[in-house]
Amino acid sequence: MNIVSIFIQTLIGGIGIGSLYALVALGYSMIYRSMGLVNFAHGQIFMIGTYFGIIWYRGMVLGLQLPYAVAFILAILLNMVLGLILERIFRPLANYDLMLMLLGTIGLGYVLENMAVIIWGAEGFAVNNPLGNTPIMISGVAVLPWTLLLIGVSALLMLGLNVFLAKAKIGKAMRAAAADRETASAMGIPVNGTNALTFAIGAGLAAAAGMLAAPIVYVNPAMGAAVGLKGFAAFILGGAGSIPGAIVGGLVFGVLEAVSAGFISSAYTKGIAFVIMIVVLMIRPGGIIGEVTVDKV
Amino acid sequence: MFLEIEHLTMRFGGVVAVNDVSMSIQRGEIHGLIGPNGSGKTTIFNVVSGYYKATGGKVSLEGKPVTGLAAHQITALGFARTFQNLRLFTSMTVLDNVRVAMGQHARAGVWGEILNTRAVQREEKHFTDRALELLRLLNIAEYAHERATNLPYGHQRRVEIARALATDPKIVLLDEPAAGLNEVETTQLRETLLKIRDSGITIFLVEHDMKLVMGVCEQITVLDYGKKIAEGPSAQVSRDPVVIEAYLGKEEDL
Repeated sequence: MNIVSIFIQTLIGGIGIGSLYALVALGYSMIYRSMGLVNFAHGQIFMIGTYFGIIWYRGMVLGLQLPYAVAFILAILLNMVLGLILERIFRPLANYDLMLMLLGTIGLGYVLENMAVIIWGAEGFAVNNPLGNTPIMISGVAVLPWTLLLIGVSALLMLGLNVFLAKAKIGKAMRAAAADRETASAMGIPVNGTNALTFAIGAGLAAAAGMLAAPIVYVNPAMGAAVGLKGFAAFILGGAGSIPGAIVGGLVFGVLEAVSAGFISSAYTKGIAFVIMIVVLMIRPGGIIGEVTVDKV
Repeated sequence: MFLEIEHLTMRFGGVVAVNDVSMSIQRGEIHGLIGPNGSGKTTIFNVVSGYYKATGGKVSLEGKPVTGLAAHQITALGFARTFQNLRLFTSMTVLDNVRVAMGQHARAGVWGEILNTRAVQREEKHFTDRALELLRLLNIAEYAHERATNLPYGHQRRVEIARALATDPKIVLLDEPAAGLNEVETTQLRETLLKIRDSGITIFLVEHDMKLVMGVCEQITVLDYGKKIAEGPSAQVSRDPVVIEAYLGKEEDL
């Protein structure tokens, strides 16, 4: 196999994993720009979302074995409900200072993780890949069908989110509430309601990421911490609070990781990706697309 | 009485920003609220529109209590406002800035919008038409599809007024709408205010431009150090020695 096809293969793998980071980073970003809250429990929300879908696929509820697509939809819906509940819990935190916000969200993350241990056990499991583990060859490049599906579905979700925020009336109300809470409420927008919806959408995207990741990772209650950290890194790298920034940040981070694993050493993957992130932030402190500074008067 | 403010007090720690102020506004009038800087005018606006919870006293519109409601509920009762500093949604077009304020009148829910039913399309068209009508009222219809921040300052002020009117208010609170406008723009603003009043909307106006205030307001309330020092028809207030003293100092000082 020549170097070009190896590179393309690595790139596709990186875009795949980067799409997952982007979906997680979008959750951080949306919640941050609407509530001014950095939600360190988002990784755990991702993990719970994964379980919310996988339990149906693996017949863990009443022995029901549902198709993966149905489990995927259920994961998103259930996690959105969880998001609505969590927003109510987090709401008071947004008014406190950073340290309390940090401790509060980290603490809730632990609560979620331990609840998962209690309900589903600390032992994880591998989920069999609905599309199989045989790579297909596309002009000399070997790709897992699941990777292509993952990239396609993530792209659709991100596109859908952007259209929703740009065109839909509720999407516009959410943008208005994020841009200026006081003015938005003077225009009759119920800001707590739009925040709850924002939180629910963030949780729904995390569940989607979890269900797309499940067949290629080991599903267990601790999986949220690692993905949460990478999603957070992508959120900062792209530009905190920026929607396109979260997407770009996630993809860049995923590709960096894959390229450093493929061409340098898989042992240093995380180290190299984080070093590059720090260098980028030294040059552009606002992130790659640092469009929004949250205006908290 | 249309808008009734009774014994309103607002304290921030030890500072009394508004001290036992009572006033009332008749339906359909333009009511001015004037006073030197720091006399509590914007604080009254912020209490009435629900940003601050009053330390004491109450506000009611058409007999219905307003105090204690959330800002968006107060908007739903028929209040709209503009801000002293421009606070447009900078990433949106002029049209979207106005349309986003109409959301509370929307009948279509999330599902209707996703399915893009005919009812939703009709409603959207209605909102767009109404928004354009408001933009025409303020002579800025040709900028409908520009990003709000690309407009000159005076025009951005008009977008704010159009956006406030888009909530379909009974009363609109305008916080220094003439600030930063030149003489021509101020004259146009004066005509706009009269047009808004004639369309049946009551106006509560905080403004430093005395020529504008005296020109359009039927009634004026004057504040100084958080207290009401005078009220009445504008011609009478402008001759009131207490008011002149608050603005210019005592006569012997001059």
